[in-house]
Amino acid sequence: MAAADRSDLLQGTLDMLILKTLDASPLHGYAIAQQINRTSRALLHVPQGSLYPALHRLENRGWLDAQWTETESGREAKVYKLTRKGRARLETEIAGWRRLTEGIALVLEGA
Amino acid sequence: MNWVMRVWHRDRLDRDLDKELRFHVDEETRRLVAGGMRPDDARRTAMAAFGGIEPIKEAARDVRGSRWLEDLVQDARYAARTMRRAPVFATAAVLSLAIGIGANTAVFGVVDALLLRPLPVPDAGELSYAVRTGPSTDGQMLQARSRFSYPAAQRFAAELQAVHGRVGAMAAVTRMQVTAGADDQAELVLGQLVGGSWFGVLGVAAQRGRLLAEADDVDIGGAPVAVISDRYWTRRFGRDPSVVGSTIRLNGYPVTIVGVAAPRFEGFWIGEPVDVWVPTGLQQQVKYAANADIDGDAKSTQPWRPQDRIAWLTLVARVPSPTPRSVASSAMDVTFRRDLEPLAAKISDPQRRAFVLRTHAALADGSRGMSSLREDFGAAIIVLMATVALVLLIACANLANLLMARGASRAREFALRLSLGARRGRLVRQLLTESLALSLVGGVLSLLFAKAGSDALLRMASDGPAPLSLDVSTSWPIVLFAIAASMVTGVLFGLMPALRFSRADVHDAMKSGGRVVAASGGLSIGRLLVVAQVALSFVLLAGALMFVRTLHNLLAIDPGFDAARLVTAKLDPRMAGYTPKTMTSFRERLLAATREIPGAQASAVAMCGTMAGCHSISDIDVPGRQRGVGDDADVQEDYVSDGYFGALGMTVVSGRNFLPSDTPESPRVAIVNETMARHFFGDVNPIGRVFVEGDKYEIVGVVRDSRINGLRDTPPRMAFYPFSQHPDTLMRSVYVRTRSDVRQAAEGLRAAIREADRGLAVREVVTLAELEERSIARERLVSTLTSTFGLLAVAVACLGLYAMVSYSVSRRTNEIGIRLALGASPANVRWLIMRETLVLLVVGLCVGIAATMPTARLIASLLYGLTPRDPVAFASAVAVLSVVAMLAGAWPAWRASRVDPSLALRID
Repeated sequence: MAAADRSDLLQGTLDMLILKTLDASPLHGYAIAQQINRTSRALLHVPQGSLYPALHRLENRGWLDAQWTETESGREAKVYKLTRKGRARLETEIAGWRRLTEGIALVLEGA
Repeated sequence: MNWVMRVWHRDRLDRDLDKELRFHVDEETRRLVAGGMRPDDARRTAMAAFGGIEPIKEAARDVRGSRWLEDLVQDARYAARTMRRAPVFATAAVLSLAIGIGANTAVFGVVDALLLRPLPVPDAGELSYAVRTGPSTDGQMLQARSRFSYPAAQRFAAELQAVHGRVGAMAAVTRMQVTAGADDQAELVLGQLVGGSWFGVLGVAAQRGRLLAEADDVDIGGAPVAVISDRYWTRRFGRDPSVVGSTIRLNGYPVTIVGVAAPRFEGFWIGEPVDVWVPTGLQQQVKYAANADIDGDAKSTQPWRPQDRIAWLTLVARVPSPTPRSVASSAMDVTFRRDLEPLAAKISDPQRRAFVLRTHAALADGSRGMSSLREDFGAAIIVLMATVALVLLIACANLANLLMARGASRAREFALRLSLGARRGRLVRQLLTESLALSLVGGVLSLLFAKAGSDALLRMASDGPAPLSLDVSTSWPIVLFAIAASMVTGVLFGLMPALRFSRADVHDAMKSGGRVVAASGGLSIGRLLVVAQVALSFVLLAGALMFVRTLHNLLAIDPGFDAARLVTAKLDPRMAGYTPKTMTSFRERLLAATREIPGAQASAVAMCGTMAGCHSISDIDVPGRQRGVGDDADVQEDYVSDGYFGALGMTVVSGRNFLPSDTPESPRVAIVNETMARHFFGDVNPIGRVFVEGDKYEIVGVVRDSRINGLRDTPPRMAFYPFSQHPDTLMRSVYVRTRSDVRQAAEGLRAAIREADRGLAVREVVTLAELEERSIARERLVSTLTSTFGLLAVAVACLGLYAMVSYSVSRRTNEIGIRLALGASPANVRWLIMRETLVLLVVGLCVGIAATMPTARLIASLLYGLTPRDPVAFASAVAVLSVVAMLAGAWPAWRASRVDPSLALRID
């Protein structure tokens, strides 16, 4: 049974945030959550319940590549990396997002 | 990783996921501890932030996209565990399924080989064969014949070129005698004459050397070449490649083997696998004289090829694919009618002319080749297929009942799972997986003996010494059939229990401590299944009884000859080089040798003989008699030695027997049978009357009717002529009646033939009783198998009935106890329970009778001496089922009446 989506994020934006975060450098799941939290100045909080299913979904679609690597703490972590297909996807997502926000802004200003 | 790999690595993926999530929690804990929290609290907070690991895992698994397969694997594992927990049930179920599916697969193997499988040639769908059809005697029915003359074949081929069609001609498959190499051992093979274009039209390739080509079949008597089949190459020559180029003697005529046909190709006639093919130009050389329609003015001793009045070739046409068969078929008819009209114009009798003008030619679907077996055996095999399918259905109903009974004990498990949030679809799927697992294991097991079953069928169905020659080796269609049959079976017996138990009322099941209170009385699924079983077994039993009665009727027939202590051999002296001129001396030598056989009482020879699978039919003229249409003037004829009627025990009822005084110089005489006398002369005494068949014959005697063509066939109109007046005529059957042991006589006959000619291969020496038996082999097969399965079905159905009633008794123990305590007599109680059996039985019988009435006429053509609504069969089936069902119901009823009220009341 799918875990209930407890995300405060707009539906569908989590994928984009993950892809964008990984565009800079490969990271493991926990670091991705931290990174999003940090770069958004704690405005965005990634719910763990959605993070891992999203990571696996993106991996299955071939947008992410995963590898088990050793971290500084000496433990093995699953590190995700953006694939070429993933980068292309990210661009589509960003373009889509821009259009959406632009549209919303126009509606809000026009009102 | 694709989804197959994902399923394969499911465990590893799950471990990885676990590790990944644990890492996350650990990192978070570490961060919180670094921020000053106590490790315990930090861990709890980290876990809480997660909101439960399991749902996340589930969600992550869901996105893998292979969830359904993972579930399937899980269900299958669960099914395997369930089976291991109840090994007796599982074994019994799997075995009964293996037998049920195996029987179906075995019969299907024969159905596939005989009725479904296309020829192993490229684009078999483009093939047709030519038939000419005309109204039958009464003008009502169409009769198809597939033989044409060689000139007609060529005219047709020219016509078909317009649509790019090609035509290949072939004669019938016949036995030929082969001598090869130094050992000179004569061997009988199946040979066929084919036109030069034949292999090309079929699209067969050579695996060694070459096949026959147009150039091989230009001249009459030219190109002494032969092609052999893969099977013959293997059987006789051990796949020796040097056989190409070597010479064999075919019916005494030397031919050179030029090639071996592609493996699996055995000709166009299914059931008659050809060993050797030779060009049609060799018709005279290899002494082919079988299966032909020869008109009165044709010269049958001259080469057949140029003659238009001898129809002896079947035409196979290939019409390339965009052109529909119907187009070529009309072209064929145009040619045929163009030839027919001038011939018809010459017929003076207007009725006869009109009859001839009603004939047409057409092309029929030849993608599956041709087969005489389809007519003879096709209906029987379909009846058998239906029988085994019905038996499997009954077995399904029984298994469904068993699963329901078992399901009752698992109801608590299902109820628990439902209450924990399992969806109903998921439970149904799991239960179906369990039943499918059982049936698939059974299906796979069934393949182990399906081939043996098919072989046994072919042996039992044969009307000759060897099993029917059909290829029933395990092939894809057969495997697919077994799998499909297993799936259907699994769903059939699994679906009802699955739907029933996934609906289990959670509250009830949990409350009553695991005891499910089944719907009492009324129309429960269990009762429905029992009624279905009774109905189906009635259908089977009634059908089986009709077949048994058919066989009984056939066995009760007086064949008109005395088969006891009579042995016979079939041979063809032409194969050993005898000509009409030397035939007499051979016949005399053979007859003399048979008289020397120890214990021989009488001996005789005939051209065709009795039950020898040989017919010679001519049409005759009776002076002063107006002839009707169709085969009204046809008679079957035979040439016999003067001791023939005596040796076979056929009584000459009036007039005289043949006498030594009937010589080639004396007036031609004939003895006719009763049917012929009645047909042509009615009540008038036929002795002394005359008929014309080329010559003029005087009827000197009337012989009693006999079943010359097999027990099933009513006696044809027969005319017998004496060899003493026709010394050149071919003889093919020899008979010896013995005073002593038939086996000894058979050995004696073999030796006598060897003595008459060493180089003559004999097909077999058998008793006439054996031939008689073979002529009803199919009826025996059908009646044996259907009655076996019918009884099996009755047993299974009554077992189901017994289980049903027993179950209901055990459920009603309480109620019965109360009734007894309140003063009901044991007889009352017995009646109470018997009533339940009776209701199930009567409803089942009614449904069964209603189902049998309309379907039984489908088997009418297989019955003999009874109608498909035979009251005896119906009544007997009702009686047998009733008795067995009442017995099955009596035991639980008796047990119910012995219930101790005090114990029964204490149970709850």
